[in-house]
Amino acid sequence: MDVARLKTSFARIAMHGDEVALHFYSDLFLKYPETRPMFPVSMQAQRAHLVDALANIVSSVDSVEALSEFLRDLGRGHRKFGTLADHYDAVGGSLLATFAHFSGAAWDAELEADWKGAYELIASVMIAAAQEDEQLRPAYWTGVIVAQERSAFDVTVLTVRTEPRLEYLPGQSVAIESPARPRLWRYYSMANAPRADGSVDFHVRLIDGGAVSMALTDGTAVGTELRLGPPAGVLRLDTASGREILMIAQSTGLAPLKAMLEQVAGLRQPPGVHLFFGARSADGLYDLPGLEKMAAGHQWLTVVPVVSAGRFSGLRGPLTDVVSRYGDWSGHDAYLAGPTEMVRDCAGRLAAAGLPAGRIHVEDFGWSEP
Amino acid sequence: MTSDAWYDEQNRLTPDYLQAVTFPLTRWGRHGYEEEPVRAFLAEVHAEMVRLINERASLWQEVQRLRRRILGKESGNDAILFGKDDAHVHAVRILSSAQRTADRYVADAQAYSGRLTEEARARRDEIMGQAQQHADMLLEEAGTRARAAAVAAMNHDGLPPQTDQERRAAAAELAYLRTFSDVYRKHLKIYTEDVLRTIEAWESRET
Repeated sequence: MDVARLKTSFARIAMHGDEVALHFYSDLFLKYPETRPMFPVSMQAQRAHLVDALANIVSSVDSVEALSEFLRDLGRGHRKFGTLADHYDAVGGSLLATFAHFSGAAWDAELEADWKGAYELIASVMIAAAQEDEQLRPAYWTGVIVAQERSAFDVTVLTVRTEPRLEYLPGQSVAIESPARPRLWRYYSMANAPRADGSVDFHVRLIDGGAVSMALTDGTAVGTELRLGPPAGVLRLDTASGREILMIAQSTGLAPLKAMLEQVAGLRQPPGVHLFFGARSADGLYDLPGLEKMAAGHQWLTVVPVVSAGRFSGLRGPLTDVVSRYGDWSGHDAYLAGPTEMVRDCAGRLAAAGLPAGRIHVEDFGWSEP
Repeated sequence: MTSDAWYDEQNRLTPDYLQAVTFPLTRWGRHGYEEEPVRAFLAEVHAEMVRLINERASLWQEVQRLRRRILGKESGNDAILFGKDDAHVHAVRILSSAQRTADRYVADAQAYSGRLTEEARARRDEIMGQAQQHADMLLEEAGTRARAAAVAAMNHDGLPPQTDQERRAAAAELAYLRTFSDVYRKHLKIYTEDVLRTIEAWESRET
């Protein structure tokens, strides 16, 4: 397999932009109509994902280690969509036909053999990872909404009971699909440490124009069955460090950190925890009463609410500034969750103030997003 | 037949290059172009180039198809008027354009619902702000009036000034509270009704 030739070929094909993915899916759906229902109505985001994934595979084809981890994730992640080993042949056929179409006369037997070999390798890694995963857990969990409470103007807390029981670590997330928006999956963090009854909470913030968040807050009633993908994510509590903890949550970024707080509460000797909980306005601090109650019951916990606009009796300002001004965090373990920009700014500021990068824990969905 | 391939050109400007190109910043700060418009223009050029490349590719394919057709005829094989492959590519194009239409409809609907919720959010912030202001005003007014009532009760003529101090204090407090709650309740009722009317008017406009 000539890697350089594949890269040159892909660069040429990629010049056609969105047209490539459009052609690929049309080819696939014409040849294998049964694959169409596996995708959402609008394919716009899907096409971008495909192009990103292809570009990522081609560009990291030299570093086998990283690529294989990416492909294994991708293979496992595809189980919840109902992807079977047979589908890989269909996709391979359409992908090759698409590449041939956009390569014009540059497409010859050698190039075809190279692409075929590359795809077979990719598919075999994905299929193997999926089959391994099959032995360990279901493709998806069915979760019934048992409670639904609007805790702020735009935040709803869903309590879901799953079948079978969802095993996860505090800090992790699952992709959720609502029957009102089939084939659209969005990641939400479990907002509690595992309970005896197996139920889990999700904090859903209504995003303007957000198809799934809207379906989960308004279009879904108690009793509705959701689909949950496998627990994913890298945010976990380092229970062995012995250091004190700094938690920074903005808006519904609180969810994974709340689950971790409950985990801390269950430790034999809980370390001191400072939780900064930020929102734009005071009524965005949707879970503050619960947190304050928790803090009243636990000496090790300090909750600091922060609001960036409007009137508020507590601390005010951008969350990142308030945290930096508040004290020296260089000896802590930090856990951050919230909008990407806030998390990035905060992590950068903490690192600049001397907190080692390895002790700043953030969620990174990266390539796992469907 | 590779010499007439449409892409067989070296060192040509590519859409990727347009997306990656950077310009040095001017030495004296503010004399250069503003970055945003330059970026926006490049994005436009990028989209246009992708479109042109795709148009050219399909023209090239069409040329190839016609060429095959002519060659086929010349060699006495006129069966290749419209081959099976051509039909498939046509079908792919039709399906692709249908998909594009569907994507646009979904995107439009999403943008519309986004605008609606955004407006609702802004409107709600406004109502909440007004309510907050109004509540502050009410509290202040009720407080002032109640204080006046308490002073009046304290100076009530019918009460002996020295001997019944406790009773007078209690009466003052009672008057304060009664007036406060009266004023507050009355105003709140008016205000709530007003807000409800606004919401109803707003709802009927929506439907």
